[in-house]
Amino acid sequence: MTQLTPTVEDATLSLRSPATVMELERLGSFSPTRLSFARRLTRLMFEQQWQVSRTQFELDENGHGFAIYCLQTSAYRYHVVVFSRHLEDAQRTDRVIAEAWDLTFCLLEGEVDAELMSALSANVPLQEAGRQHPRLLVISRANKSVRAFATVSAALASGQQPDIDHLKEAGYLYRTTAVYGNGKFGIADFDRIKGYQDFWQPFSAQMAAVYMLREFSVDQVEHIARQADPGHAVALHLDARRYLGIGNSTGLGMAPFLINHPQLISQWVWVRERALAVAVAQPPSEHDRDRMLALCRRAAAYLAETHVEDAPQRLRNSEAHEELTQVIAWLEQVPLDEALWQQLLDWAQTQLALETQELLNTLLIELYPQQVDGLNDAMGADENLDLTPDMPLVQLKQILETHFDWAIDADYECEDARYWFWYQSADKEEPRLGVRGEELGEEKELALAIAPTAQRVYRDLVDLLDAQPRALTIDLLMAFPEHMRVIRRIQTMAATFYGEIRANLWHREMKPMHLLRAKLSFLGAHRFDPKGDRWVRVTFFQGAPLLSDYEDSAASPQVFDDWSFPVAPVAERISASQ
Amino acid sequence: MKISLNELQSVCRKAFMGMGFTAGHADDASAMVAWMQSYKLDGMKELSEGLECVVASAASARPNVIYQDADLAVVDGQHMSVLSSGNLALELAFAKARIRGLAVIKIRHCRQRQLIMGYLARLSSRGMNVTAFWRHSQSPITEQVVGFRAGSAVPSIRVYELADIPEDDVPNDGVTILMANHVDLLPTIRSEDEYKLLACHDESDLLAAKQQALEEGLTVDPEIWQQLKSFAAKTLVEASEQSRSGAGPAE
Repeated sequence: MTQLTPTVEDATLSLRSPATVMELERLGSFSPTRLSFARRLTRLMFEQQWQVSRTQFELDENGHGFAIYCLQTSAYRYHVVVFSRHLEDAQRTDRVIAEAWDLTFCLLEGEVDAELMSALSANVPLQEAGRQHPRLLVISRANKSVRAFATVSAALASGQQPDIDHLKEAGYLYRTTAVYGNGKFGIADFDRIKGYQDFWQPFSAQMAAVYMLREFSVDQVEHIARQADPGHAVALHLDARRYLGIGNSTGLGMAPFLINHPQLISQWVWVRERALAVAVAQPPSEHDRDRMLALCRRAAAYLAETHVEDAPQRLRNSEAHEELTQVIAWLEQVPLDEALWQQLLDWAQTQLALETQELLNTLLIELYPQQVDGLNDAMGADENLDLTPDMPLVQLKQILETHFDWAIDADYECEDARYWFWYQSADKEEPRLGVRGEELGEEKELALAIAPTAQRVYRDLVDLLDAQPRALTIDLLMAFPEHMRVIRRIQTMAATFYGEIRANLWHREMKPMHLLRAKLSFLGAHRFDPKGDRWVRVTFFQGAPLLSDYEDSAASPQVFDDWSFPVAPVAERISASQ
Repeated sequence: MKISLNELQSVCRKAFMGMGFTAGHADDASAMVAWMQSYKLDGMKELSEGLECVVASAASARPNVIYQDADLAVVDGQHMSVLSSGNLALELAFAKARIRGLAVIKIRHCRQRQLIMGYLARLSSRGMNVTAFWRHSQSPITEQVVGFRAGSAVPSIRVYELADIPEDDVPNDGVTILMANHVDLLPTIRSEDEYKLLACHDESDLLAAKQQALEEGLTVDPEIWQQLKSFAAKTLVEASEQSRSGAGPAE
């Protein structure tokens, strides 16, 4: 696995400081870049010429049954198996506590023989309640966007293309409610698949499974339309098909991942920041400026037509849209200078909202594929938090004061600073937030709040150092064995740039939504639409190339590489082509 | 039943937390069990056979150091499982070996000594040559030697039976570990000695076993698995209407 480690060169690239980048609200403003796992997948499929075919499609007139797709890469053969069933409306819930879904599916390695198919049929539809086969790399489930699905199937059955405004509302036909990898419920461990050249990166297998679900979703809706009226039904226009992604509904379950994988998060953020620094350091040409202007206009159009139910997020989108207009004016007026991009970011930092600042960073990274795409190979990490027991305590003290100053200097005594506690519910082990002193379960709190724990270590360390100035880390641990986990983390993370999210996760003002958005941005999710403060709907692969694009030898490479911030197809063009 | 390595580690970690281990000790104990199981060395069997002892050991996170100097330590294991404080005892020796080049630690009166191999693997991956030696109390006496080359994930293991039973009434319930920064300590049995080799695992055998476990999943006894899940459930908060709202508003 390639890992780019900080080098001398980084010093000349002026990476942003962890104090700036790892602040929770900023992380909660990230937009997906071209280095996201979703974008990387579509490029990889193109570069390596994956061959994908539908090998079985056993659906009845209601679209219920199963389908199998075969993915042939240069190294391995995989299959995606989808099970579709009738689901009563009352059973359709996005919550992780659901027990039935419209669709369940899996991505597996190798062939699907009768014996395996029998095991899949018996277990994949049960999801968490099943015992899954070790050849499965991913299992997942999805629910219909009922209105979008009904609208599209009815239109196609009547020989019409669906109303584009309806497509804009949801942007997908199905939304996943959990996508499981890494050994969950008996499937293959990541330790195994990271040896494969196709899926060695975290979340790459999950992204491939979701991409294939997108294909199935349209295959299924077209099938239902044909069954309803074989004489009149038409296929969905390719532009409309391309505009449909796959939704995802995500809750607090995603939050612990960001805390429990600090080395991976550090690597992801470092790659993003390095890509930004590389982009900013490029002396722009007129062509680059024109391209940046075009990207700003596309992002503004995307924001203008993106339907978001959450009022605060709608406001943020609206503000970003307005500010992009200012950015466009700024770019059109200022003279072309070697330091233009730095000037742009300096201006943005003082004048624009965080949402717009981070959006501009994403667009700048988009400008320079040749310079930044190589960084994609550094998105993995060998995760191992190691202790250095012989480290002198004075050195550990200095590390805490240098890298964890934000944590050890904070006040955790006031009521607001210790308002929330995180715990795991007996309901499918779902992570939840409770109010300290009011709700049950505090004694079973999950140790996610790193900041107050680091402060406790610091205080015990200072006391021990007073008594034993030459003490080592092991001496502190022999006195306070309960500090083992956090000391390992402090010592390991001191050698990284990023990784620790600089927030008190107990604090009343802490917004868990920021944690979710940060992770979702790295996966490549668009259309961020919070539902309250603890779960969110997003869309993957909207605007992404279709399988038919991969089969089309005349398709422009740009189709596979430049599909972020998708804008709805022109209604007239779609209708005219009927 | 078949489970994945990640499942095993995750359920074990929660089970140890449910028994009362601190978070860091639960991490280490679960890694020790999972390490053995992933190399087909029966970590789960070792755990389950001494489960009562593990539960009783949960609160004993601090090793009881009887003696130590710059490069030697003797620890009283107090008849507890090595899962409870073995990690810290070994880190103590590791620190000494890093400073002095070579260190020895003796953990007396400890249980489930096989499981200590998982932690030795971790020390080895941090660049330490490690050899552990212990005798079993059965008659006839057997000896076990486990050696890790610095940086290697897997050890070389030898278990053999002694032909001659020494006159010795010291209980065989301890383990002696040598660590050396720069010198290989791999076990090599002298050929002129009389012994009966009972088990021999070389690095290549163990790597193959791990690969097979990853491809086919790990086999565990469903009854033991259920026991662990029961302990793990103690870390979960019972669901209520109020707690359901803790995951966000309904749709």
